[in-house]
Amino acid sequence: MNWTSFLAFTRGPLFYAALLIFIAGMVYRLARVVALGWERDRVKSRGSKLAGALRSYLKGILIWPFIPWVKNTFSRNPLIYVAGGLFHLGLFVVIFLGAAHMLVWKSLLGFGWPTLPLPIVDWLAVVCIAAMIVLFINRLVHPVLKLISGPAEWLNLLFVFLPMISGYILTHHLFFRYEMAYSLHMLAVDWLLIWIPLSRISHFMFYFFARAIHGAQFGKRAVAP
Amino acid sequence: MTTQAALRTFVKETGGWVAAQLEACTRCGMCAEACHFYQATGNPEYAPVWKIELLRRAYEQRFTVGGKLRLAIGLDKPITDADLARWSTVVYEACTLCNKCAIVCPMGIQIGPLIHEVRSAMSEAGVVPAELMAAVNKQMAEGSPLGMTDDVWDQRLEWVADEWEEEIPRDVQGADTLVVFSSIEVMKFPGNVAAIAKIMNAAGEKWTVSSQAREVVNFGFYEGNEHRTVEILKRVFDGAKALGVKRIVVTECGHAYDALRWTAANLMDVPLGIEVTHIAGVLGDFVRSGRIKLKAGAFDNDGAITFHDACKIQRRGGHIEEPREILKILAPNAFREMSPNREQAICCGGGGGVIAIKSADPQRYAVFQMKLDQIRKVGASTVTMTCSNCRLQFTDSVAHFGLDLKVTGLAQMVADALEV
Repeated sequence: MNWTSFLAFTRGPLFYAALLIFIAGMVYRLARVVALGWERDRVKSRGSKLAGALRSYLKGILIWPFIPWVKNTFSRNPLIYVAGGLFHLGLFVVIFLGAAHMLVWKSLLGFGWPTLPLPIVDWLAVVCIAAMIVLFINRLVHPVLKLISGPAEWLNLLFVFLPMISGYILTHHLFFRYEMAYSLHMLAVDWLLIWIPLSRISHFMFYFFARAIHGAQFGKRAVAP
Repeated sequence: MTTQAALRTFVKETGGWVAAQLEACTRCGMCAEACHFYQATGNPEYAPVWKIELLRRAYEQRFTVGGKLRLAIGLDKPITDADLARWSTVVYEACTLCNKCAIVCPMGIQIGPLIHEVRSAMSEAGVVPAELMAAVNKQMAEGSPLGMTDDVWDQRLEWVADEWEEEIPRDVQGADTLVVFSSIEVMKFPGNVAAIAKIMNAAGEKWTVSSQAREVVNFGFYEGNEHRTVEILKRVFDGAKALGVKRIVVTECGHAYDALRWTAANLMDVPLGIEVTHIAGVLGDFVRSGRIKLKAGAFDNDGAITFHDACKIQRRGGHIEEPREILKILAPNAFREMSPNREQAICCGGGGGVIAIKSADPQRYAVFQMKLDQIRKVGASTVTMTCSNCRLQFTDSVAHFGLDLKVTGLAQMVADALEV
């Protein structure tokens, strides 16, 4: 098999298989958690659970990334806070607002959306990669993170790093022949899709549960979440 | 043997509520920044995420494919008795269940309540620090961890009523409000009992205390034992039912308020039509509605005053604004806010049963020093609060460090400033 046909395989059958595993895996994880059952909260509220939950989402989506100085965590550990934020921002922009990736979404969903100019996406990709390195070093040296990090935590970082770095190499035509760089990027992406349901990278789904619970718990006590 | 009991409890407690939150954790370690025990000591085992480690492992090993697989190939080990002993120290001696970690967590995971689940498992396994367990047993047997038996209660209340010349209605059938004190107040801060009596009388409230529901403290809740928590809650509810009151007012005790107001209904059938509220909220209502009048500026001339937010009454109770409204009347110029404050406040370090455990003293005092730094930064010579457990931690630590700091309660200040 030459690189051209390998590329066809990694962006064709392998990609679709990985996508299916990803979707099935995430649905399974979701169903398993939901199936554990939810006991009704019989405590009388002082404030509104719904308002608390909405506020909790708004805070998570708007305040934390854009007005971080309201957080004590930010003032104690600004570098890690900013690195974590930029990592997620970079990831979001590259996956959803990069022209090449939008076209993938379009082919899957049937509709597209406006994208950002390549230089901006490119810079955010660099920022994202740099942020990952900062987070990696932090995990190496921080006493709490040293204690709680097992193989899974290191592999998560590695498996997100690989598509990012190979994607960067691909867009800038560095080191490898185009087909080869593209194949490696697709391989990394395919593996990440399979890995996500097996790992804590799936937190993007449970984030919505946890934040809703948080908001409801604070809201029912009439405390700002 | 003990481990099996702990594991059964973990499984029993694991609903979607627990699972969804455990699944959301990315192990970023940010929660450590919130924990006063970690901040004060630098011990990584005090990080909130580490405190729920056993709950996570038990969940994954029992419920997830990955967890079962890792256990099978030896990447993860079964939970052992030694693990329980190790984590028992961490969850009882270095956690006040204050839930500040939930505010810092980017996912918003309620780590405090999850640590309570870990305590439940410890309790079933019988690995609870001996001093805490002794207090639990004492409360189960005598009705109070501080030895407030029927006789002591009678004598003590009579003495308070005499000493402060305040009427304390006892076991009045058909009263509207049942006031339930903690034994900390009755035994150590009797002035607080007199103060609350004075306020209730001044407001013209039809109130009573109950000899059956005389102890609001719930050491079963500290321990995390559901059965004993309910048993102790029942004593209060039964006392309220017997007198036919419309509401229960919890006085300056945080954990008891959490148990009665925010937990009881999910553990047991609570009597219908009896509202549970906290004295901080009642004071606010009395002042707002004009049922009591306060001398404006009564505390403006004794140096700066600051307010300590209690985890269970402010952050987890919601009575954040009432104390501030009152302090702005009592000491409009002398009142200073610490930073951070309100729901973000640093804990006193003695809650959650920590103050009852001698071997927790080093970290308890270390946390108090953080609180002290905050107080010093605003130059306060008086600190007031709405929780007698915090107050116990403050008075004990002030004595321990030999400080010149006046520690008081909000009800006490209100009673002293009543306009008659």
